Amino acid sequence: MDVVLQAIAAVFLWQNLAALAGGSIYGVIIGVLPGLGPSAGMALALPLVIKWDPVTALIFMGSLYKCSNYGGSLTAILVNTPGDASNAATILDGHPMCQQGKGGVALGLSATAAMVGGTLGMICLIFAAPFLAEFALRFGPSEYFLTALLALSIIAAVVQGATLKGLIAAGLGLLLSTVGFDVITGHLRYTAGWAPIEDGVPLIQALVGLFAVTQALVLAESATSISRLAKLFGGFWEGVRTYFHYPVSIVRSSLIGLFIGVLPAVGQSSAGLLAWADAKRSSKHPETFGEGNPEGVLASETATNACMPGDLVCTIALGIPGSVGAAIFLGVMIIFGVIPGPLVFTEKGGLIYSLFFALVLTSFVIFVIGMTVGRRLAAMTLLPNAIIVPLILVVSLLGSFAIRNEMSDVFISLAFGALGYVMLKGGFTPIPLLLGLVLGELVETNYHRALMISGGSYTIFTASIISKILIVLTVLSLIGPYLGSFWKTLTQGEK
Amino acid sequence: MLEKFKLTEVWLKIALLFVFSAFYVAALSFPEQSRQFPQLLAVASLVMTAIALATDFTRKRAVRAEISGVDDTELKVLDADDLRARKKRYYQAWAIILLSTIIGYLFGFLFSALCLFAGFALVFGSRAKLPRNLVAGAGMTVVVYLVFGVMMGVPLLNGVLW
Repeated sequence: MDVVLQAIAAVFLWQNLAALAGGSIYGVIIGVLPGLGPSAGMALALPLVIKWDPVTALIFMGSLYKCSNYGGSLTAILVNTPGDASNAATILDGHPMCQQGKGGVALGLSATAAMVGGTLGMICLIFAAPFLAEFALRFGPSEYFLTALLALSIIAAVVQGATLKGLIAAGLGLLLSTVGFDVITGHLRYTAGWAPIEDGVPLIQALVGLFAVTQALVLAESATSISRLAKLFGGFWEGVRTYFHYPVSIVRSSLIGLFIGVLPAVGQSSAGLLAWADAKRSSKHPETFGEGNPEGVLASETATNACMPGDLVCTIALGIPGSVGAAIFLGVMIIFGVIPGPLVFTEKGGLIYSLFFALVLTSFVIFVIGMTVGRRLAAMTLLPNAIIVPLILVVSLLGSFAIRNEMSDVFISLAFGALGYVMLKGGFTPIPLLLGLVLGELVETNYHRALMISGGSYTIFTASIISKILIVLTVLSLIGPYLGSFWKTLTQGEK
Repeated sequence: MLEKFKLTEVWLKIALLFVFSAFYVAALSFPEQSRQFPQLLAVASLVMTAIALATDFTRKRAVRAEISGVDDTELKVLDADDLRARKKRYYQAWAIILLSTIIGYLFGFLFSALCLFAGFALVFGSRAKLPRNLVAGAGMTVVVYLVFGVMMGVPLLNGVLW
């Protein structure tokens, strides 16, 4: 208990409060810029904090990480471009709300979700971290493999309402994730001798292309501003009030976020999408989801923010990051001498609890940022195409370029932009493709590991109770959308 | 039947059949452990795409497939002229993007940014607001240089020519 109190006191030192405020503001700016997510933001900020005290540096990086996720939700809502894969679900209802002129309401929802989801997640995890980490340790390679498959199948089934198309897009994403060095054998696959993709298709560059470049092309083509109504209805506080109209969704989404967060390597991108899917399924008006339903924004944002603490617990306690951002955060921790593992809570307890408490405070800082500048950011949706399109392209392609300082990364982003545009025109959503790309390495590595453990026998995938439950859930997620109409036909007959 | 071939969705699925086949064939030269997973995926994706394509052809009439990411409400009410104008703007946007990327490759990313701002202001902005848009573009390029080039050390002026 003394350690926890000392850790809380440490956060209130002026340098740590300054780091928290600086990291939060920097994070929102980085997140708002389409394509520059938490990973690029942390990578760019590393030279700045490298000589700081570890507690101050990790508070800065933690606030940056959390706030860039919030910033990413702003761009998801305003310009249909998630700052990071974790904001992918927010675009489904957030951007349609914006197109209806309710950008201010959506931003209010998102800021309240960041505060409520983040605080709930953090408080739960401060007390429950040891127990949750123990449960996550029961997951072996086959369970990881099946969890990733479950996430993919659910997303494929619900994100667009066309399971087959979703699965095809997810399959393409998984296949693209096999490009580069095979993590098991070290064999080079599908690179055609082109060096920039030898380490795999770069995720951030692909994300920039699929969402930012595609969105810029769609905007350029339509010749209108993002908000088609040319004015904004509803404000931030309306969004805050709307948020508390859905208490059941708040609790459900927080629990989904917490559960997904604590599962190693599944991450925030899955949490947001799963919570959105859950809210859609349990709603009396599922047809309004994807058309600008505030509950969709609430569910995805609450789950994403509740997921981040769990994600960090896995990253810190097990050394298994739950997302690209968490992977970079893991690297930052190692740079500052915090070696992740089961002993980190005893050896570096003070630092870890300072970080946790700082993240609770950051949730409130996000709300203040949303309250003060959210409306002004919403006005961005009224900018004419001649300004907003090149702005999106410059900032997002710059994010792509700045990671390795290579123009080849810009070409990769443009190629993914063309792919994303063709997919949209062809009736496919790129979200399952992105998730396939994110989870591909996890799926393949654990597939091979499981087979190595079992000596090549596929029975390992059905051996444990957890595996069986995961398989049943996967099958249900795939046939679920068809069961409703089948049941209706069975009970009411063909009319 | 022929009207189905006018749909982007159908052509995309045909292209995907080739892509998945290519992934399968290219994996034949890999060691067994390296090819197992991509081939499994390629076959599964190939089968699903073939089923989806077959479903398209068994439908009685063609259905425009664009989803919520693209504002299809406009498409439903747009006439042929408007559709042509949209297509023209799409190709113009690609021309600006590709030209500025080549310039960025030769002279550095900052020039690419400048070309994007200037290109979109010239082609997409109204003539009356051209000076304002150009000044705004130049201002944003300077901000990009100061924030990313000076403060963060991103080499924005490094091109293959210098």
